[in-house]
Amino acid sequence: MRSSGCIDPGPFERAVAVRSVDDAIAWAGERLDDGADPLDVLDTIAEVQRRVGERWASGEWTVAQEHDATSVAVATIEAVDARVRDVPSRNGHVVLTCAEREWHAVPALMVAAALRSRGWTVTVLGPSASVARFSAALQDLGPDATAVSCSVLGALPAARRFIEASRTAGIPVVVGGSAFGGDASRALALGATAWAAGAREAVETVAALPSVVLAGGSADDPSAQERAALELAADHLLGQVLRSWAASSSPESAESATMGGARVAEPAGVPVAEDLVQQSLRAVIASLLTGEPGPLHQTTAWVAALLQARGASLEHLRRLGVSMETELRDFPLAQRLVREHWA
Amino acid sequence: MSTCPSDGLAPAGAVPAVEAAVPSIDDLLAATRRRAELSARLNAELAGSLNVRRVVMRLLNLLVPERGDGFADWAMVAMADEVKGVVQLHGGLEPGPVTNVALDPHLHPALGRVMLSGHTETLQVSHDPQIDDGVDTLIPDATLCEQARTLRPAEVLACPLSARGHSVGALLLVRGNSGGFPQEDIDFAEQVAARFALALDSARLYEDRARVAAAVERSLRPAALPMMPHVQFAATFRPAAEHLQIGGDFYDVHASEEDCVAVLGDVCGKGIDAAVLTGRARQSIRTAVLFDRQPGRVLSTLNTVLYEQGSDRFVTAVCARVRPGEGGGLSIDLAVAGHPPPLVLRADGTIEEVQVWGRLAGVLADLDYDEVTVDLAPGDTLLLFSDGIFEARGRDDVYGMGRLAGVMRSYAGAGPDALCEAIEQDVVEFLAGHAHDDMTMLAMSPRG
Repeated sequence: MRSSGCIDPGPFERAVAVRSVDDAIAWAGERLDDGADPLDVLDTIAEVQRRVGERWASGEWTVAQEHDATSVAVATIEAVDARVRDVPSRNGHVVLTCAEREWHAVPALMVAAALRSRGWTVTVLGPSASVARFSAALQDLGPDATAVSCSVLGALPAARRFIEASRTAGIPVVVGGSAFGGDASRALALGATAWAAGAREAVETVAALPSVVLAGGSADDPSAQERAALELAADHLLGQVLRSWAASSSPESAESATMGGARVAEPAGVPVAEDLVQQSLRAVIASLLTGEPGPLHQTTAWVAALLQARGASLEHLRRLGVSMETELRDFPLAQRLVREHWA
Repeated sequence: MSTCPSDGLAPAGAVPAVEAAVPSIDDLLAATRRRAELSARLNAELAGSLNVRRVVMRLLNLLVPERGDGFADWAMVAMADEVKGVVQLHGGLEPGPVTNVALDPHLHPALGRVMLSGHTETLQVSHDPQIDDGVDTLIPDATLCEQARTLRPAEVLACPLSARGHSVGALLLVRGNSGGFPQEDIDFAEQVAARFALALDSARLYEDRARVAAAVERSLRPAALPMMPHVQFAATFRPAAEHLQIGGDFYDVHASEEDCVAVLGDVCGKGIDAAVLTGRARQSIRTAVLFDRQPGRVLSTLNTVLYEQGSDRFVTAVCARVRPGEGGGLSIDLAVAGHPPPLVLRADGTIEEVQVWGRLAGVLADLDYDEVTVDLAPGDTLLLFSDGIFEARGRDDVYGMGRLAGVMRSYAGAGPDALCEAIEQDVVEFLAGHAHDDMTMLAMSPRG
């Protein structure tokens, strides 16, 4: 990610902090009136949005505050988007979507505005559109390319289904978002035609795609059965791991947390424990899916950062790993992955 | 001094040329294998697309790949468009743009003959540009003609595209310097053309139907929410058949200079049949608010219209008239017809169920509906929703009002957009991929 050199993010950051949609939109409008490249304005919004995520992770902001800040970003991107819709459509048509279970619509909106600013026609599906809806759009619109955004590891299995749908229709697919990691390898392993690091890169990548791609056969997928079993057992495992983790951290002072309406033990002194276990289980599935431990490494690093930022001991991370390994006893591939690659 | 083999005239007694013309067993085997591979690939690839343009692009890409070494050196598809009375030309060196030409029986007899007769033809392009090759009688476009001619000496193969008893167009292939089309390759090209014609015809049938469906969908999809000075709206709409984008739930906001009338309703049933009735219900409400904007009267009129139409389906709805209130707040009159009462989320996280009831619309004649008034202060939100939200069925449980209230509480003061998004996210996560009924929400808050 690059910083957007010529634009001062300060005024926009202040508008986000006081949750003023009007100030934020006015700021974007003035930049564009001054002749700023829409891509630079979008980069600035992305930069500030990243800090919003950090503030949530560090516990400085509540999830409601994060949502509020995000809706300011969304409104601002929409305002930029409204301006770039005037750019004459001289390139092809791109269908863009967020993977299922994917609620981080900001990157997708950003990419849509970026592509439109360069003369692409963009149809945005979602957030959280189904693969059936995506496929119907591909047949109805016959686009030149598709773009799939995926920010959370839990949505990677869905992202792969979108990739498959696009390739079955012979349409090249470019993917991006933090769930794909920091380079193209994960995207290509899942069958994508190309990977883009951000909105700016997506514009360059889409322009260089081939017009037609081959559907490609189904590759060897040794973990498919175990992944399916894991998906089915996910809720059960979540409870098991939470309980085991709580018991290992401090048996007598285990606090309670609400999960699916029932009260479940939670390790003392660990914030958002359920989220951490959820993400860890999803990372295991994602690692099995991509055939490399990257997603698991990414997640343990995230858990460690979150624990530290909120003043909790890193010992909890180690214990969570032990609980994960124990509770995954019926899933040999997943268990081995955790044993060998946890933190 | 050897004669060019693509003239089709092997010089008598020219031994080296004869030797070159007889392919080895290995060559024959390799050619057979290539055809088998291409055939398998075509079957798989052509089946995956129902879009005319994409089907054509795929075929051309397989026959003439960018890397070279394809079945042909150049290819184009001429597609009959019976509605416009023209022939669409795809292909050549620029796979993108499409040219439409009116087929002239005097200028392009060869192409017309192939399409009408259903018989394959070949045509030789001599190495001598002075000789009239007749390519322009087959390729009805000057640019495309020139592209084919630059491959001279060449052979042009024109295969008819016929499917389901009618002519769809023609597939034109050119092989340049390397040689012409031996009989096995002509046979193969005809098979490819037959397979492709069927895929193309299916795609055209699909496109025709899709156009009809899209027009219906557009007319039934919820309209955009109005921007109002005093009130901020947000809505989500997730139909049971997500790929159709229409269902039995509906919402509308009818704005005037003084107020807004917001309505959210649910026709019993889902899918296209229910959606058609939502169109009627929405139209009745739109007309009703022109005469009386009080929610009770609006629902009463809706009931009468539906009852008198004698539909066997009923409609539930909640109707809200929204006006500016004191201290930057909103004053909202509400009436309900057989619909779950709305919830008020106060800025401090308190949740109140609005105490209002009424019978569902369309079953009994002449119903009156009670109204209540709810005041919203800045930071409060009113949420209208359909039963698909709290009746969502997850792995082994129903979502329920308790979970709904729980999510709402943690979004107190966050505004209607964030609230709707958070609830939708929570419900969809809860579903864990299970089928669901139409799920719709409409939220409103005083604009800060």
